[in-house]
Amino acid sequence: MKLTSSTLELDLVEVETKIKRFIRDYLEKSGAKGIVLGLSGGIDSCTASALCALAIGGDKVFGLLMPEQETYNAKDVEHAKLVAKKFGVKTETIDITSTLEAFYNSIPIFELMDKLCKGNIKARVRMIYWYYYANRRDMLVCGSSDKSETMMGYFTKWGDVAADISPIMDLYKTQVRKLAQHIGIPKEITTKPASPALWPGQLAEQELGVRYEILDLILYGLEHFMETEEIAKQLRVEREMVDGIKQRWLHMEHKRRLPLTTKLEYRTVGTDFRLPRTLAKR
Amino acid sequence: MKQNFKVALAQISCKQGDKTENIRKIEENVTHAKTQGAKLVIFPELSLTGYTLRDQAYELAETIPGPSTSVLEEMAKKANVHIIVGMPELSEKTQSTIYNTAVLVGPNGFIGKYRKMYLPTHSVFEEKRYFRPGYQTAAFDTKLGKIGLIICYDVFFPEVSRLTRLKGAQLIVCISASPAIRRAFFETLTAARAIENTAFLAYVNLVGIEDGLQFWGGSRLIGPNGKAIVKAKYDKEDLVIGELDYADIKPMETFVPTLRDLRPEIFDKLKEHAEKL
Repeated sequence: MKLTSSTLELDLVEVETKIKRFIRDYLEKSGAKGIVLGLSGGIDSCTASALCALAIGGDKVFGLLMPEQETYNAKDVEHAKLVAKKFGVKTETIDITSTLEAFYNSIPIFELMDKLCKGNIKARVRMIYWYYYANRRDMLVCGSSDKSETMMGYFTKWGDVAADISPIMDLYKTQVRKLAQHIGIPKEITTKPASPALWPGQLAEQELGVRYEILDLILYGLEHFMETEEIAKQLRVEREMVDGIKQRWLHMEHKRRLPLTTKLEYRTVGTDFRLPRTLAKR
Repeated sequence: MKQNFKVALAQISCKQGDKTENIRKIEENVTHAKTQGAKLVIFPELSLTGYTLRDQAYELAETIPGPSTSVLEEMAKKANVHIIVGMPELSEKTQSTIYNTAVLVGPNGFIGKYRKMYLPTHSVFEEKRYFRPGYQTAAFDTKLGKIGLIICYDVFFPEVSRLTRLKGAQLIVCISASPAIRRAFFETLTAARAIENTAFLAYVNLVGIEDGLQFWGGSRLIGPNGKAIVKAKYDKEDLVIGELDYADIKPMETFVPTLRDLRPEIFDKLKEHAEKL
């Protein structure tokens, strides 16, 4: 298998059709009235929102903008609104600064300098808002996670990844960029550096230590059972880096699964209690 | 026996786990097919229940003959057609041994069944976890000629179609639940099986989405020359009717005489080497 820039090419028309069909079908089977999602202004949430709107109509899609003081970025808010307007997505803006402050102040062991723990609160607080709106309005929560960050475990457990459906989770970041361009997400959004915005100045590629163009090919190779040595050779990168990415991918499996329990009874949730997800209601 | 007749490919989506609703849809398609002159109406793999059943397979499986096949028999009698439907079959001798089965009924009742021999258990498939494989190929004498039955992944193993053809099948029916990522394989293999066996092949695939799996449809009736006589839409429910004429087999069998040229001694070698793989 050759790992080149064309390896990750997709039939974008086909992918768009499949994703829209999936969204429509799941919403219809669930009986929910629409879709709620967090709309940060980043490429993933803009793409997911647009796809939902194209699938079921923007009037049934509700984007929540949840800026907060520490990471406030006027450009992101502008981008979120731009996409919402273009695809007819309804939005509401909630400043979550005071909610976050309340959390920080109420935790006896809260440590201001621990930016990761603090950042995770932000992701989980946003999730609480999505689900509140979804519950109140009988809607589904749509996630915006892509395959690169999901494989790397580059997300907050039970936070930004929490959702009922995640329509772009089988696309690597560079593929999301192409799909975004294809469906008409403005270039200024598709080309800006990705950031989870958990703290000021946080940049995804800097934290992951590799550019998405390389990371995605490494992950693609791992997905296809390639040896790390071969991946490194083809991409002309250090074998240690590829090994490190492989280890991280494997060690993050706990973030992608239901909580582990120990087998005690006949059928166990998360292991051998195996039911279809969309069984007909009777 | 009829030499030429119309075949309906009923490319439906199923409601997972809801036999009543699926039987209603099957009947609706049989009625439509009948009004268009079809003598044989074919439905996809596990179309009685939907494909993605997981542990529900134990609850949904039925014996054959059984309650659902009785309904299908009545339907066939009433419409004066032959019907092929896929369903999870419960063994009469046990309480939870199940097969992935294709059942054939006609105007005079139950004709026969075929239990899938090759159960995919890789990638997104987990059939061996739930189903016992069948051990026999199947070709049945009917008023519509000799009809052979195979199911989905069986088409990757040419020996299944070959054996079905050697039992005399003029029409090989392949019912399927193939997800979209595998479309190219099936488009190639279904044509290949028809050509190499100089037989008609009716491929009927599921559509719809079950647990994120999108089934691609694309059902087709293929002539012994490998060309599609009729094709259903991709990704959407469809009911298409194609006419076959068994007289078309003879010129093809003369032009590409694969059956005349069979070398039985090769099969011994195949067995020998397959055992050592």
